[in-house]
Amino acid sequence: MKKLLVIMVLLSTLLTLAACNNEDTGDKIVIDFWHMSPVGSPSFSGMRGIINDFNNSQDTYFVRGTGFSFWDYWDKINVAVSSRTAPEVGLMTIDDVEARARAGVLFNISELIENDTSLNNIDLSEFRQSQKDFATYNGDLYAMPFSATTRALFVNMDMFAELNLTEDDIPETWDELHTIAKMFDETDNQNNITRLGFDPTYGNATYHGWLWQNNLDFFDEEGLPTLNTQGHIDVLEWIMNFNNDFTRAQLTSFGEGNQMLGINPFASERVAMIVEVDGLYQIIKDAGADFNYDVAPIPIPEGGRHVNWGSGFSIELFDNGNTTDAERDGAFEFLKYLLSKETQIRLAEVNGWIMSHISAMEEHVAGDPILEKLLLEVDDAIDKVYIPYAPSWHGNDWQPYYNQALSGTLTAEEALAAARANYIQKKQNYDAVN
Amino acid sequence: MAKTISITKLKKQENLIGYLFASPWLFGLIVLGMFPILASLYISFTTYNMISLPRWVGFANYRILFTNDSLFWKSLGNTVYHVVIAIPLGIVVGVLLALLLNNKIKGMSVYRTMFYLPNVVSIVAMSLLWLWLFQPNFGIINQFLAPIYRLLDMEPLRWHQAESTAKMTLILMGLWTAGGTMVIYLAQMQDIPTSLYESAEMDGANWIKKTMYITLPLMTPSIFFNFIMSLIGGFQVFTIAYIMTNGGPSRSTYYYAYYMFDKMMLDRSMGMASAMAWILLVIVLILTMLALRLNKYVIYLGEEG
Repeated sequence: MKKLLVIMVLLSTLLTLAACNNEDTGDKIVIDFWHMSPVGSPSFSGMRGIINDFNNSQDTYFVRGTGFSFWDYWDKINVAVSSRTAPEVGLMTIDDVEARARAGVLFNISELIENDTSLNNIDLSEFRQSQKDFATYNGDLYAMPFSATTRALFVNMDMFAELNLTEDDIPETWDELHTIAKMFDETDNQNNITRLGFDPTYGNATYHGWLWQNNLDFFDEEGLPTLNTQGHIDVLEWIMNFNNDFTRAQLTSFGEGNQMLGINPFASERVAMIVEVDGLYQIIKDAGADFNYDVAPIPIPEGGRHVNWGSGFSIELFDNGNTTDAERDGAFEFLKYLLSKETQIRLAEVNGWIMSHISAMEEHVAGDPILEKLLLEVDDAIDKVYIPYAPSWHGNDWQPYYNQALSGTLTAEEALAAARANYIQKKQNYDAVN
Repeated sequence: MAKTISITKLKKQENLIGYLFASPWLFGLIVLGMFPILASLYISFTTYNMISLPRWVGFANYRILFTNDSLFWKSLGNTVYHVVIAIPLGIVVGVLLALLLNNKIKGMSVYRTMFYLPNVVSIVAMSLLWLWLFQPNFGIINQFLAPIYRLLDMEPLRWHQAESTAKMTLILMGLWTAGGTMVIYLAQMQDIPTSLYESAEMDGANWIKKTMYITLPLMTPSIFFNFIMSLIGGFQVFTIAYIMTNGGPSRSTYYYAYYMFDKMMLDRSMGMASAMAWILLVIVLILTMLALRLNKYVIYLGEEG
């Protein structure tokens, strides 16, 4: 009886352990790749197909793909990089490549490209210089641009047609934006807003995005906060006052209604125009929305410049200290495959993202007027700078002050002064220990 | 002699078996518990961005937190506010519930289960649920209170969305789980000998007097226990604010543990976050030691007074 019990326990343990690894990698060198297409996501099978095609073409390397949702991905990859257990290949944010390169956790991709004599080497001319600059540290590339997010003005053309407006009436300046937006505002008999023309805080419109259009920024070239000019105050006041013909309660109630619906206010046709990322195209498509819409550059102020926040992903080869040369070479081989024209087109189809490869995307968007226009916006996209003392300067560090200004708790000047004081204190504290 | 050796052997064997059974826990304590604790103490004296190696900076992190970090004091103040109000309120509600449910009426076990049920709900699910209940425009709580707002001619409360009421809203929400402490109070309440109540009744004591002079004094051990546990737990308040308010509005629910989390995850300043963790440990330790002095006021049944 005892023997039987021992055999059963051993057998079940063996079976369990065997079940843990169902991939037959043979003698191949295993390369881990982390992406954002987890099991169950619409892009999972497409991503698996891309990885499988690489594996089928290989005698030497085997790529093991692991997908995490966008929201889980960042904590996982950051912890893995910190503990030097990162995958050989992974996606990251392109704006802070420098920090990882300086810490020595990334392989020098420029060196790998230089030493590669194969015919399928990465063609650097196919990637935008503005993105490559972010991936460069000490003159060398430590990452490659992977995707190219952009932000644009989405316009509901059915609503425009209702008011006899056409494509020619799509606003190009802030003044035009305000004039046209106000034509769409509607309230019901209880004075609740039922439709807004535009709100400069909705979607992916950000304060720093509006600042950039005015040739202003949060920080100067030395990374010091520059929020104390009249220009900064004027931009914030423009945002705060855009819909000041409504009360704060009306606007809050309308905003909460959007949240309750759980879908984008533009996709639910509650706003006529919105600043959004290119991903809204896919959201609208997936939602099966049947209204006509168009995409245009985000309107600019008088004397301003066309620019939008382009927060793309980078792809990086992680050096965990114990990564072998063979693993590094395998990771580079896979990187070349991912950055090839054909794979970039497939990745765009699978994820609905605009990828970084220029000619691949030109080919991919051809014939789709919305995507064609979105791709044009990528040329005006710039990423936010990485501030070591405040990596989340646009998020957690800024949002409380921004919200206080929007809710009327603080004036624009007070909010900016308080935010600036916070950045200065953070810098002092960072400098004291670094 | 042979018998003595045998007993010693047996004792050794028994000890060995004891250690064997305790070994998973000991492993957990030493490897999974003590190592991170000691590592965090070391890291608190370093600057560490979780990518590069930690670099020794002495007491700089502690000095900065105490002298040049306004959010440190803000978050600590928010947490103290939460602890000072939530703990007494939690005790009062828990005791009242226990008194209410310490009756011999039909279906009592069903009521007790109902009050305990919120404790088995995940805190994330609970926070999301209350997020909708407290929603100022569409939430059921404001719909329910609408006649009162009209009567008093006041604007509906914005609950977690207003700086003035956000902290109280989270505290009120926390009372939903008072059923957890209620179970402990109830257990102790039912441990009180009925002879004490019978004697009191013979002396003409009514329900209030019996509660004030018998029930509550004899419940002080469980009140004391819950007070200490709530004190320790109260300083770690995080999840409800993270889910419901993101620390807002205007950082009014930005608690100490939340700031510590942001220091680590957003600012990538593990050294500073570790220093905050150790400061929190010292604060909780001091307060717990002070609270333990209240032990002399606790009445233990069977002790001679």
